[in-house]
Amino acid sequence: MEIKTTAIAGTLESSDIQIMLMAGQDGIQIDLESDVIKQFGNQIKQVITTTLQQLNIDNVKVRAVDKGALDCVIKARTIAAAQRALAQTTPAWEVL
Amino acid sequence: MSSTIVELDLQRPAERAEWQQLLTRLGIHNFSHREVDQIDFTLGLYEDGELVGTGSAAGNILKYIGVCNQASEPGVRFNQIASALIDRLFQQRIFHMLVFTKAQYSASFQHVGFKELAHSDQAALLENGTPDITDFIQQIPRTTQQAEQRVAAIVMNANPFTNGHRYLVEQAAHANDVVYVLVVQTDASLFTTVERVQLVKAGTADLNNVIVISGGDYAVSYATFPAYFLDSPASAIEAQTTLDARIFKNHLAPALNITTRYLGSEPTSRTTAIYNDVLQRELAPTIAVKIIERKQVAAKPISARDVRQLIKTGNLTTLDQLVPLPTAQLIKQRLPQLQARIQKGMKINGN
Amino acid sequence: MAENEARLRRTMMFVPGNNPAMVKDAGIYGADSIMFDLEDAVSMAEKDAARILVYEALQTQDYGQAELVVRVNGLDTEYYHDDVKAMVKAGIDVIRLPKVESADMIQTLEEDVAAAETEFGIPVGTTHVMAAIESAKGVLNAPAIAAASDRMIGVALSAEDYTTDMKTHRYPDGAELEFARNMVLHAARAAGVAAFDTVFTNMADPDGFYRETRHIHQLGFDGKSLVNPRQIAMVNSVYEPTKDEVVKAQKVIAAIEEARIKGSGVISMNGQMVDRPVVLRAQRVMQLAEVSNLLDEEGNYLEK
Repeated sequence: MEIKTTAIAGTLESSDIQIMLMAGQDGIQIDLESDVIKQFGNQIKQVITTTLQQLNIDNVKVRAVDKGALDCVIKARTIAAAQRALAQTTPAWEVL
Repeated sequence: MSSTIVELDLQRPAERAEWQQLLTRLGIHNFSHREVDQIDFTLGLYEDGELVGTGSAAGNILKYIGVCNQASEPGVRFNQIASALIDRLFQQRIFHMLVFTKAQYSASFQHVGFKELAHSDQAALLENGTPDITDFIQQIPRTTQQAEQRVAAIVMNANPFTNGHRYLVEQAAHANDVVYVLVVQTDASLFTTVERVQLVKAGTADLNNVIVISGGDYAVSYATFPAYFLDSPASAIEAQTTLDARIFKNHLAPALNITTRYLGSEPTSRTTAIYNDVLQRELAPTIAVKIIERKQVAAKPISARDVRQLIKTGNLTTLDQLVPLPTAQLIKQRLPQLQARIQKGMKINGN
Repeated sequence: MAENEARLRRTMMFVPGNNPAMVKDAGIYGADSIMFDLEDAVSMAEKDAARILVYEALQTQDYGQAELVVRVNGLDTEYYHDDVKAMVKAGIDVIRLPKVESADMIQTLEEDVAAAETEFGIPVGTTHVMAAIESAKGVLNAPAIAAASDRMIGVALSAEDYTTDMKTHRYPDGAELEFARNMVLHAARAAGVAAFDTVFTNMADPDGFYRETRHIHQLGFDGKSLVNPRQIAMVNSVYEPTKDEVVKAQKVIAAIEEARIKGSGVISMNGQMVDRPVVLRAQRVMQLAEVSNLLDEEGNYLEK
């Protein structure tokens, strides 16, 4: 699926993650900022990538600013940003 | 403890006073019209009824961001305000934003996802969102053998494009293989960005090696950049120009193989004199700075300010000597609209 | 309404649905019920994000024994249908509908819940519902509302909107809520569902909070809606049974046990027959004594 508009979800508050999605041409490219990037950087990127793949988004630029989010929060914010970026008004029930 | 973020209405005296008090306590003292009037919206963070943080936006520029960290973990309130500002801009479909701040706060903004474009001892310029400077540079047209060519650049406001500007571009075009003309993007000028870019393109159409582009967010305009956190107008110009020069030197020039920057000499404007000094200090020796003597008509350097004065008075008899044909045509065509803009308070005395 | 009478519902803690820190930690405070809020605590721009966040948290977070409730957006909002569908799919225990004014509204909710259960392959009837009563009309229709569905587990009074509707506001003595509290409570008891009192938001007034909690405990409410985890221990202390109550309840329980061993259908104590309400009350007191840590391993009262 194509990114229709740049979109954002999540906040910069503790335990959250801010996910920004932008149109891209070169697969899923993730630029991550996190205090725990050494320990959990790969895992965070993996959750984002898997979630985007489930939503059939293949080309996208991702900017993520992590503030200690759990996996379920990372997934939730990725889905929310993706729905906004795809301009979808109904939730993707099969991915939730 | 309940914490909420609400929009502040600075037109209301009570809210304005509370806002100004908080910022004053945080060391911000400049609340001039030039700074405050451009604000589009202001957010306030309240905890238990007390204003403990604030942030504003003017277009895509964040300003007047301040949080009190008393009785709070450092960073918590800052992150709340930054988050709310970004969300609000995205809701308004503003996806790219800039912040111009004291150098010591650069790290706080980087911590919430901003990328530093340049910093000096005093100030830092950061951006967030899309399209960013990488995207901007990528879309600039290039020649096929640019890496081996002599490439020069000129940054101009061109408000409007005069024979003086034209002369400067010609000099650069003769001495180089490729010349980029970056037109400053700001609608605080009498002529809009679209009009100015269009006039520069039309006025240089016969010069095959000239590429005219809009400077985007990366050729700084004094008119819109915040300076409220700096001590004096002179240090503001110095700080802005330093950042402008460093963005040019560190981002634009290497990507486009620019080795020379051309400037017009400026005997009368103090602002431009500071600007030229700082550029020489910052760019040399990596990038050669060539200052070209201003072209004169009737023993007087051509200036865009004089052209704007003619528009104001409506006496266009000397216009054709001062500007190229496309500029003259546009002025004659749109004289009433331009005069109306001046009437509405558009300042025409600046650069 | 199967497990209604057994479950303790002293504390229903409100958790803003778009706040990951609070959603994540909601289980650690020991609230009897956790209510994730998709309505008033979430701005319009974040309704979608909050719904997804609560959904994902429900899939992965361990909230222990707490009953999990979601306050969806009102029937007349554009968010309502997606809220209900997502929460049914998430397997929430209870959907709380705000601003309920008639039994019809609960029946509409019931149909929407049933449709979602069918769509997502969940046994029809799994998801419970409850009603928040927030207006004069809602209070007057409370008996019908409380009895509107087999899925009902309770009714809650929401005083903020109610007092506005009544052209008053909240006072420290709560006189303005007396009629509504009694209506909601009677409606709940008559229908055999739980009754929840409204929130108390002034955290700077613990005396006022205790006074109000003792009052609604005395009236007979199952518990109270809470906005701050610190209020949980305060409510629990008010609901803690006295030593006399525990000892009395233990005697009733012993009598039940005796009747069971004898194979007798009649429970008697001191030559008197023990009615069902007395049995239920004793069971409830023992349940409260247990969760209040008043009993040792053998079930004896612990002197404090």
